[in-house]
Amino acid sequence: MKALRIAAVTVLVLAALTALGAHYIAPAGYEHQFRETPAAAPSSHHLLGTDDLGRDRLARLLYGMRVSLLLAPFAAGLATLLAALIGGIAGYWGGWVERCLMLLVDVFLCVPWLFLLLTVRAVLPLNISPEASVVVTFALLGFLGWAASARVICAGTRDMMKSEFVWMARATGFSGLKLIRLHLLPNLRGTLLAQFWISIPVFIITEANLGMLGLGVAEPLPSLGSLLGELQHVVTLRPEPWQFVPLIVLIVVVSSFQTLLNKQEVRA
Amino acid sequence: MLRSFSLGLLRLLAIMLLASLLGATLMRIAPGFTSDEQQLNSSLSSQSIQAIRQARLADADILHYYRGYVVSLFQGDLGVSQSLNQPVRDLLRERLPVTLRSMAIALLLAWFLGLALAITTQMFHSGFVTFASEGLSGTFISTPAAVLALLFVLLRLPAELAAGLLIFPKIYRYGHNLLQQSYALPHVLTARAKGAGRWRVLVWHVAPTTLPQLLALVGVSISIAIGVLLPVEVICDVPGVGQLAWQAAEARDLPLLVNLTLVVAFATVCATMLSDAARRRFTRAAA
Repeated sequence: MKALRIAAVTVLVLAALTALGAHYIAPAGYEHQFRETPAAAPSSHHLLGTDDLGRDRLARLLYGMRVSLLLAPFAAGLATLLAALIGGIAGYWGGWVERCLMLLVDVFLCVPWLFLLLTVRAVLPLNISPEASVVVTFALLGFLGWAASARVICAGTRDMMKSEFVWMARATGFSGLKLIRLHLLPNLRGTLLAQFWISIPVFIITEANLGMLGLGVAEPLPSLGSLLGELQHVVTLRPEPWQFVPLIVLIVVVSSFQTLLNKQEVRA
Repeated sequence: MLRSFSLGLLRLLAIMLLASLLGATLMRIAPGFTSDEQQLNSSLSSQSIQAIRQARLADADILHYYRGYVVSLFQGDLGVSQSLNQPVRDLLRERLPVTLRSMAIALLLAWFLGLALAITTQMFHSGFVTFASEGLSGTFISTPAAVLALLFVLLRLPAELAAGLLIFPKIYRYGHNLLQQSYALPHVLTARAKGAGRWRVLVWHVAPTTLPQLLALVGVSISIAIGVLLPVEVICDVPGVGQLAWQAAEARDLPLLVNLTLVVAFATVCATMLSDAARRRFTRAAA
């Protein structure tokens, strides 16, 4: 099992490095068209072949990894920040503030957020620029995916507010902000980090689902989700096994996250 | 008893109304709400296009729209779908049974597979079984629902099976962690040390401590199932509520989406409340 963890860490580090260095590693730009070789099979020039528009699949995969793997943490950070704010306020104040905020959390949790995301994403204008679509998609993931984390953080804050060291700090005259900065935040860091890491694979998968449904990142910018959209042609038109590479990459990366998270959960 | 029931009912109503208002507001604030694809239809006259534009603008004041919607809702009128031009009530009557059937099959499959694997892994402590269970759950938890649905279309397998396989890893992982914690409890260790058999330990010592928490997972699994069924129904062309939601989102059909949000919120909150009540009852009975 330790070997599995080491393998997972290695995969994630490699994926992150590949994503960061996509500009240097990729054989071509993600939108560069090789018009003389559209829909080409893998060759020494194009290791994963080209798509219907003649774009190098490997280049698009590398750039797609960069979009998905770098922006999913951004969305996770946003969701964790919102969760910390709302969950923290609820746990800190307690009483009717907590009840009202937890009702809001229940509202977000009771409507599966992929549903909400589809609703919002589908009404965005069709002429949105690819760069804007990336930001909007991942920002939406962050804005709609905070509720479950907020509940955990609220429970953690509530427990901490009842702990002896916080009582002692309050008795010695620590004000609200000082108490939060010096006692609550440092002790909640583990919970916040756990929620951050848990959110990343969830957002990668959600973006992939949106991409498959044609709602993710706009063309020509690639993401793991938009690359998976090509699989629909595999089913309907022609079997090209190399088109499954983005799916395999996605499964390997998300499994690596899950392996690390699962071990931490078990240890906790 | 009556007080807690009334409070629960009030909470349910508040969540449903807030959820549907949230859905409607998100639709409204998103850019492009007032535009309609039909405006691009060159066969329509300028009066028709103007009428479509006016109809869209009429819904622009979301509070006004929502007030009217709630009044109609209490009179039993769910409105008419803008895109399908059919009463929403009829659409829900057609689509809900399909989704409920898919959900029931998927949940049964997921719970059976998830618990069976969790129990087998915990009881037999075999390296191969653990590796296989972890590998299987890891693969399905890492596969986007839409991709698995697509593969099931390719293999001509039922959509419910895809949904079940997507839900099962969550039940397996939660169940496995719960069993691990239960098997480490002092009374379970004592029973094992005294030579109680595997099944006896599971049924008489582990199950009573894990069942209340598993009951709480029932409500959560329904929420997960709704989220999973949306892409599965779209890709597998299953005429259920998920596919209807997709069509409504594509067509920016506000009345249909608000009603669907309300139905989904109702189903999820009811399931959570029922499983919470069952868990409390079970815990009291066990105590």
